[in-house]
Amino acid sequence: MSATITRADVEKFLFREARLADEHRYEEWLSLWTSDAIYWVPCDAESADPLRQVSLIYDDRARLGDRVERLKSGTVLAQDPKPRMRRVISNVEIAELSATEVTVESNFVLVEARGIHQHIWCGQSIHTLRQQDGELKIARKKVLLVNSDREMPALQFLV
Amino acid sequence: MSGAAAASAVEIGQLIRPDRVHGRVYRDPALFRLEMEQIFHKVWVYLAHDSEVPNNGDYVRRQIGLQPVIVIRGSDGVVRVFFNRCRHRANLVCNHERGNAATLRCPYHGWTYSNHGDLVAPTFDEAYEPTLRSEDFGLTPVPRVQSYRGLIFASASATGISLEEHLGAAREFLDLILDRSPEGRIELSAGVQKMRYLANWKMLPENSVEGGYHGHFIHKFAFGLFDSRSGRDRLAHEEEWVRYLTGGHMLEDFRDVQYRPKQPPSGARKAYLETLSKTYGEERAQSLSFGHAPILFVFPNFLFVQTHIRRMQPVSVNETYVYYQPMLLAGVPPEINQDILRIHESSFGPAGFLSPDDIEIMERNQIGVEAQGNEWLFIGRGIHREERLADGGTIGHDMDENHLRGLWQHYARLMSRA
Repeated sequence: MSATITRADVEKFLFREARLADEHRYEEWLSLWTSDAIYWVPCDAESADPLRQVSLIYDDRARLGDRVERLKSGTVLAQDPKPRMRRVISNVEIAELSATEVTVESNFVLVEARGIHQHIWCGQSIHTLRQQDGELKIARKKVLLVNSDREMPALQFLV
Repeated sequence: MSGAAAASAVEIGQLIRPDRVHGRVYRDPALFRLEMEQIFHKVWVYLAHDSEVPNNGDYVRRQIGLQPVIVIRGSDGVVRVFFNRCRHRANLVCNHERGNAATLRCPYHGWTYSNHGDLVAPTFDEAYEPTLRSEDFGLTPVPRVQSYRGLIFASASATGISLEEHLGAAREFLDLILDRSPEGRIELSAGVQKMRYLANWKMLPENSVEGGYHGHFIHKFAFGLFDSRSGRDRLAHEEEWVRYLTGGHMLEDFRDVQYRPKQPPSGARKAYLETLSKTYGEERAQSLSFGHAPILFVFPNFLFVQTHIRRMQPVSVNETYVYYQPMLLAGVPPEINQDILRIHESSFGPAGFLSPDDIEIMERNQIGVEAQGNEWLFIGRGIHREERLADGGTIGHDMDENHLRGLWQHYARLMSRA
């Protein structure tokens, strides 16, 4: 596979990932990740070192698999009934591009309708996407929530 | 005692019985206000740990009940606690959550205080009467501040029992938690996860120290995952004890639980366990190792659970903030503290596999207590078999509710005292 990664490829990928997450399509969402992936949601945008600082999420591929298994189990109370969600992805900017990898920054606004509440979540995602067997996969995703250091409700969906 | 307080005291007596509590204690805003006065503004409240303000000038903002305070280490190295309120017109002198400051300057009219709390610069002071002395306008200290092994507590009441008396039987278990560091020193330097839930503050200690009862239901899947991932099997679930420690403090004691390791410990863990044995002896080292750590509630707002110190902040009768701060250990290989962070994240905070289910259950509970057909919540499990200790504490079996019965009797006493 030698075709260069284009902006259109990247946007298509981000929109698809968002749709799978919004629609609780857990297995398909999980299949987007590489086997050595890191999924990181810091709990303070200033904390740069997950080995010394606590995060909201700092998953390797095995932990991410557990996260998805739990969501699939139907036992997560904050997912009973399942929240309805839609997110808008915008401000897509390519930060780094090589023959096989791209680092892309984007913003999202996500509305989660759960029970009597409607939560609005917003932040910046930084994806590192890698070309693997002709497809893009997520090697690393960091999500900086605008309210990461504020008192927040349960975050029990795929962000 | 004022007339209003006296009337409330009578009512409290009617709301709490040995084996049940009335739903009103969770939903009545008048009782919430009385709790602030009778409990949070009188008793010792946990505020912070020394390691959060390591350097001179370091400060963190906290609350005692609903009152804003600032915990600050002065340039003389002494930690003081002040009400966060300018002596001029009561603005917040400190608006940042944490930081370092030689002086605190009120943004409203510029009055400036040293990090010892002294007023160093009123502004445009030529028009104040010459008899006024700036010594009389320092930041107001919280009446009593005491520490236990680096844990800083304060009381907004000038009188009352000492911190040592307040901690009472809980001290033994605080030691058991803090001694997990071979240097006996912990660090709350890893940051904090913050959650809010729409339910009463008292549901958090009741839910956090649960003797495993609700675990069989709301955490079943997560516990199964953890068991399959951890390097050990728990042999039985019957050797844990639930204790009421007097003073409102509650404990889950896991020291007797037997584990069978599935695989040999990592190099770092082996080194850690050896250091613990050398420092404290074989038997205590066993009690200190992971899996045997207690769950401890120190009344009214401090919890230790497995990996972290959990601080609770009431907001209103049906809203509460929770702060989860992983407890790092001094004097251990870095891998041990990294493990603590990763294990913590798997379970706790907004995206963990346990906390969100607890939060959801408390929010549903708050809706449930609005129903008025039969208003009593039942906490009678194990009442026939609880062992009563000489000091007033009790010991019950795994899943018994003796500790909750103790908590509520303590609550009733505080709420109805003069």
